[in-house]
Amino acid sequence: MAERRVTGQPVLATRGLSRNFGGLAAVRNVSIALHQGELHAVIGPNGAGKTTLVNMLSGDIRPTAGEIALNGRQVGGEPAHRLARLGIGRSFQRTNIFTSLSVLENARLAAQGVGAARSGPDGKTWAEADFVTQARAALARVGLAEVAARTAGALSHGEQRQLEIAMTLASHPKVLLLDEPLAGMGPEESERMTTLLKGLAQEHAILLIEHDMDFVFAVADWMTVMAEGTVIAEGKPETIRANTAVQDAYLGGHA
Amino acid sequence: MLPDKRAVPILILGVLALIAVPFFAPPYYIELGTYAFIAAMLALSLQLLVGCTGLVSLGHAAFYGLAAYTVYLITPEGTGRSMFITLPAAVVVSGIVALAVGALSLRTRGFFFLMVTLAFGQMVFFVFHDTKIGGGPDGAFLTRPLISIFDWQLQLTRRQRPMATYYVALTFLVAMYLTLVLILRSLFGRVLEGIRVNEHRMRALGFDTYRYKLAAFVIAGMLAGVAGHMWAMHRGFVNPELIGWHRSAEALLMILLGGLGTLHGPIIGAFAYMGLAELPQVMADWKPMARLFNALGMPDTGAFLQSLTERKLLIEGVVILLVVILLPKGLSGLRLPRWQRSSPAEKPTVAKAEVPPNG
Repeated sequence: MAERRVTGQPVLATRGLSRNFGGLAAVRNVSIALHQGELHAVIGPNGAGKTTLVNMLSGDIRPTAGEIALNGRQVGGEPAHRLARLGIGRSFQRTNIFTSLSVLENARLAAQGVGAARSGPDGKTWAEADFVTQARAALARVGLAEVAARTAGALSHGEQRQLEIAMTLASHPKVLLLDEPLAGMGPEESERMTTLLKGLAQEHAILLIEHDMDFVFAVADWMTVMAEGTVIAEGKPETIRANTAVQDAYLGGHA
Repeated sequence: MLPDKRAVPILILGVLALIAVPFFAPPYYIELGTYAFIAAMLALSLQLLVGCTGLVSLGHAAFYGLAAYTVYLITPEGTGRSMFITLPAAVVVSGIVALAVGALSLRTRGFFFLMVTLAFGQMVFFVFHDTKIGGGPDGAFLTRPLISIFDWQLQLTRRQRPMATYYVALTFLVAMYLTLVLILRSLFGRVLEGIRVNEHRMRALGFDTYRYKLAAFVIAGMLAGVAGHMWAMHRGFVNPELIGWHRSAEALLMILLGGLGTLHGPIIGAFAYMGLAELPQVMADWKPMARLFNALGMPDTGAFLQSLTERKLLIEGVVILLVVILLPKGLSGLRLPRWQRSSPAEKPTVAKAEVPPNG
């Protein structure tokens, strides 16, 4: 546990975070820390509580117990829209875009959601044009600038996943919570996404949930392994690969 | 939801046709037209919730009825009040009550929202039904508001009045339609559409969806108030029926008839609904029809059609069922048969995917 690449105050940290659904303890006593410039992967078998953890961090469900601190400020139990405005952006496991709207319009809504509550750089409130500028920048970042005018529903699956990320980026979050961004992607698209995430990790604290182990070990700076709602190991990818408890619980013959 | 550019000439033609109607139609139909405009306004105001935001309310008539009662309560006996006083008062009362009802009922979703709005609507209904306010269950007559501009007031004879209110109602309807177009084009309107499609995602994007829905609820309530004010102005009579859930359900039916996806849908639906109620009577009264059946040796058929007027609700039910089953987009989804359409109209449907929808 002594090893850590990035030091300093974490951007997002949890302490003793727990969530019960009736009698089921989906997440038990989880303490993790996300740092700026670090790609933090959470892995674990199905039902380990990964998505529940993300849902608590994004405010979609309230923790039963424990704390969440964003830049040292307690934000546990705040509603989702407040957390989004405070700088926690999330993408969804199942593609969750507005298929009837254009690609640009999707990204613009995302910029507007957070922007409407903040005032602009010169103290004025944002106008529609500012949202469009931000939206275009986010689309360019993920490589969707050329298809901005298309209807989102007409995009390929991989492009829709990229749009999902662009929507998260358009709100200028400090923390990115990415729930299986690679789900259902082909090898070529995965590669593009890998490059993108590595780039994004420079400026954001990223929490990544992913099942594709080759991908996770290739991009992660820090890993947390969960099983049955608790953290069973954490460390650098090399450490995790060598950890026998993890191999037993999850990796099987993979590592 | 927004009318596309090609529809603008048709909409303008439609309004011009409605302007022309009183010059040809007998007084009965002018009155009927005014009622249809009022019904269309109520349905249109509800569409902001149902079609635009995805909130199905069964208590919408409460704001409509409250506006009508407000006009009654602020009108002194025997004299009319200026529209410039009655209209703002009615709209403000509807808006305030909508704010209270919306603030509570929007904490629920889907089916529960429907039931809570129904409960609030019935509460308002029984306030007027079970107390002496506004004549209790029997209702009360009021002096109709004056059509006036500051000190100058339009002097109307009994025969002129229906025509004047027809045009006032038409003006209100057009103004309400344009207001909704502006609302839906704004950033606010596009947030409502986002909420209709995927509210959860909108929250994750940082939208406080509750506030947006509440704003839509209050605006819809105020617009229903405009319709209710027009009712009081035209009919000069209020009773609790204006508030009850029947009225709300009727407005929902009009939306369903006309189409959920468009702004002109509720208007078409309201006209169709009003027309439907008249249809058997029209058929029975139509002389050539009677003569035709007589010539065919079936004088009983005319009488049969006449008797259908008493089965009005049955006919309405059948027609509405047919529309819902055969036309999922409502009457506004009706198109000319393919071979009758000119070819240029065919193209845009293909090109549409390439062009960004303008809001």
